[in-house]
Amino acid sequence: MTSKREATVSRPNADLESDSLLGSFPDGPRLVGTKCDRCGRAMIGVRVVCSTCVGTDVSRIELPTTGVLYTFTRLHVGGDGVRILGYVDLDDDVRTLADLRENGTPLQPGLRVELGVDGDNWFFAPVSGATEGQSDD
Amino acid sequence: MTEDVFVVSAAMIPFGKHRSSSYVGLAVSPLVDALRGAGMEKSDVDAVYVGHSIGGMMTGQRICKEIGLGTVPTVNVDNACSSGATAIHEAWTAISQGLIDVAVVVGVEKLTQFGGGTLPLSPEDREVKQGIVMPAVYAMRATRYLHETEATVEDLALVSVKARKHGALNPFAQFRSEVTVDQVLSARPVADPLTLLMCCPTGDGAAVVVLASERARNRLATPKAIRVAASILHSGEVEEGYRDMTMPEISQHSARDAYAMAAIGPEDLDMIELHDAFSIAELVYYEAFGLAERGRAVDLLRDGKTTFGGDVVVNPSGGLLSKGHPVGASGVAQVAEAFWQLTGVAGARQIEDARWAMTHVTGGGTAGLDHGACTIHIFEGV
Repeated sequence: MTSKREATVSRPNADLESDSLLGSFPDGPRLVGTKCDRCGRAMIGVRVVCSTCVGTDVSRIELPTTGVLYTFTRLHVGGDGVRILGYVDLDDDVRTLADLRENGTPLQPGLRVELGVDGDNWFFAPVSGATEGQSDD
Repeated sequence: MTEDVFVVSAAMIPFGKHRSSSYVGLAVSPLVDALRGAGMEKSDVDAVYVGHSIGGMMTGQRICKEIGLGTVPTVNVDNACSSGATAIHEAWTAISQGLIDVAVVVGVEKLTQFGGGTLPLSPEDREVKQGIVMPAVYAMRATRYLHETEATVEDLALVSVKARKHGALNPFAQFRSEVTVDQVLSARPVADPLTLLMCCPTGDGAAVVVLASERARNRLATPKAIRVAASILHSGEVEEGYRDMTMPEISQHSARDAYAMAAIGPEDLDMIELHDAFSIAELVYYEAFGLAERGRAVDLLRDGKTTFGGDVVVNPSGGLLSKGHPVGASGVAQVAEAFWQLTGVAGARQIEDARWAMTHVTGGGTAGLDHGACTIHIFEGV
């Protein structure tokens, strides 16, 4: 006795394959994102489903290298020394947690920042001549 | 048609570093005291709900077997800092639907098992892999709040000063000494602008409440009761892009729904126990709960509107900052405080003629969410 119909076999997503958000693209190392082919929503990291429209046709994209610093903190616990962490709103409305470097410009919310890559590490730092309030205030 | 649900008993151990107690050791004594306080036998209990986040498998059953409480369902509930309050919500749901009459709710957690440091979050989370810890989340909230409003770091310190002033009156609190603004500001930095005294401590604790239907309350002649006027549980909504971290939407929406269910407004509340895991949270929640206009929370704090003698006493127990925050226990401990305040047994910290109380816990640490869970309850003295 067999049935002509079979249940869908769902598949695991190998989302533990890489811990890094940094990927290789023709333009160089960039943050990896995913864009929904149906609704167009961009998201951080590798995804197999769109969190907005639940579409499963999605594409790997490189995320913008520039954005606005939303907020930050100097973290004194949980590691060696002081680490600066912040949220950056990338230019395609994707927010990412990021390590920050000052590069001579005191950090403040609203600063324009850009991606920097240092070996396997990545960070955001103020773009040269950055001032507050260029896109969020 | 839902039935009225009542809290008929509450018990807890003082929060603190109880290194020589297991989860069972923490919870058994308040479990016995809560049953006795309700005038109940274990045979009166229809179900047990146990909130804990990191107690391991069968924590609830391990506790209950110590008093031979079995057969009835025991449900272990994890919702991070909302675990205990979620357990209460589940008990309320079952009783209000008429499925059961009496539920025991335990909230318990032992954070000293980790030897110190920040709360361990899921290592599978994207931002946890990047190094996020809870103090950093709240610190970033604080940085943005100070950037957008007239609030200062002194205001953040003032929250801690108020919490410790209240906690000094509470025999259940982990910290029972007052501090000054200068002491808070000069404490060790944890995540700028937050210093150690703006962060809730590591500790262990257990709290137990007994919930009952009107029918059971009458049948068992429980000596005291407060009515559950609202029980709300929300989950966080993901945001891939911009999020306003100064307005936690999950707490705002939960409060809106709680007010609607209780048919009261923020102006009716006599006390609130809110989730002040870090001092910035208290300011943000004043606004999320509608106590203050956006950006104006500091007015309430500076004018003493949220301490004893003010319009609404926020965290009369000392809150998470002073009473302590053993994650899964906190939501139940808040309800214990509401029970004691509304039944007039809060001793030196008693709020005069308190009738309406609200309790609020969240649960965080997930990328893309403001918080993963938020539980709000409103209670009325009867």
